[in-house]
Amino acid sequence: MAQIVGALGVPHTPLYPALVEREGPQCETARYFAAVTSELEAMRPDLIVMFDTDHLNTFFLDNLPVFAIGVTETFKGPNDEPRAVPIYTIKSRADVAAHLRRVAIEAGFDLALAQEFTVDHSVVVPLHFMTPGMRIPVIPIFVSGHVPPLPSARRCYELGRTVTRAIESWPEPLRVVVMGSGSFSLEVFGPRIAPGRSDGVPDPDWARRICALLEQGAVSKLLEEATQEQMLRAGNVGGELLDWIAMLGAVGETRPRFVTPQTEQGHAYAAWTLS
Amino acid sequence: MSVYAVNHLCREVLRDHAFRAAMKADPAAAIVRYELTDEERQALLAGDVAKLYRLGVNAFLMGYLPRFEVCGLTMPVYNERIRSAR
Repeated sequence: MAQIVGALGVPHTPLYPALVEREGPQCETARYFAAVTSELEAMRPDLIVMFDTDHLNTFFLDNLPVFAIGVTETFKGPNDEPRAVPIYTIKSRADVAAHLRRVAIEAGFDLALAQEFTVDHSVVVPLHFMTPGMRIPVIPIFVSGHVPPLPSARRCYELGRTVTRAIESWPEPLRVVVMGSGSFSLEVFGPRIAPGRSDGVPDPDWARRICALLEQGAVSKLLEEATQEQMLRAGNVGGELLDWIAMLGAVGETRPRFVTPQTEQGHAYAAWTLS
Repeated sequence: MSVYAVNHLCREVLRDHAFRAAMKADPAAAIVRYELTDEERQALLAGDVAKLYRLGVNAFLMGYLPRFEVCGLTMPVYNERIRSAR
């Protein structure tokens, strides 16, 4: 049977690849990504399931699913031209993804089907740092975290629980790592950006609060506090927390190996090991 | 509801390189293909992103305008204007 061996939460800031190229492997962001990469390698994954919020590049306002899953053998990205990132072909597992979708729909989560798609920086930037050889297949599950009304935190957590159960019912002995990609407090190109920048962190206290709750394994408290109002107050991409919350569906109240905040940038890096 | 059209146009600046070039060369001609209100058209051509934001245009789609420097927008100009929409 397949099993979930770990979970990782990461940011996906599109400026980071160019930043790390400029500042080198000793800069803070490079070191933080190296730390989660070591965790990933120690987990020896056969497959990654990534909860992700697309920035209207995979899907658009013409047809916007609240939840969707990629069911394909390969997909490409990034499709939004972040600097210093090549266009990768990323392997996937259509058979496992179709199984996840079937189980989720049976459980009441109507995952939209995406079979021909490209992904943006939100999927590719973490992989660019963590699996640059792109040898590990990745199944993306898309959560609508940017365009209100957002799905509730509780619903996203339950989706994560359901995906976990679905993985555990797959007969092949795969080692699966679940990832959540996104920020806690971040405004991108909106009125609350900082002077001279293209982004800003409207609510660093909220980012700190999330890190504290993650440290404590206080999932119910986090679900209670992560209201739509709070997430949007934290920035126009504050709903990306929902990707972390879906990832927590695999983790429950397990304490993390570490939560490394980068709260002045509105996010964190975190790892959970599951036996 | 042509805010949708403005959002679409912003995304095409990213995706369609020929449209991006046309928007840089002659934005008034390039946007003829879109059905916009006069208010939207004027705001767009003036690079009035605070106005577009108030009309409901998505901020990170609008970010493609200064990123590729169309409608007279650069990052510093965009930064100042969008922050006035607070």
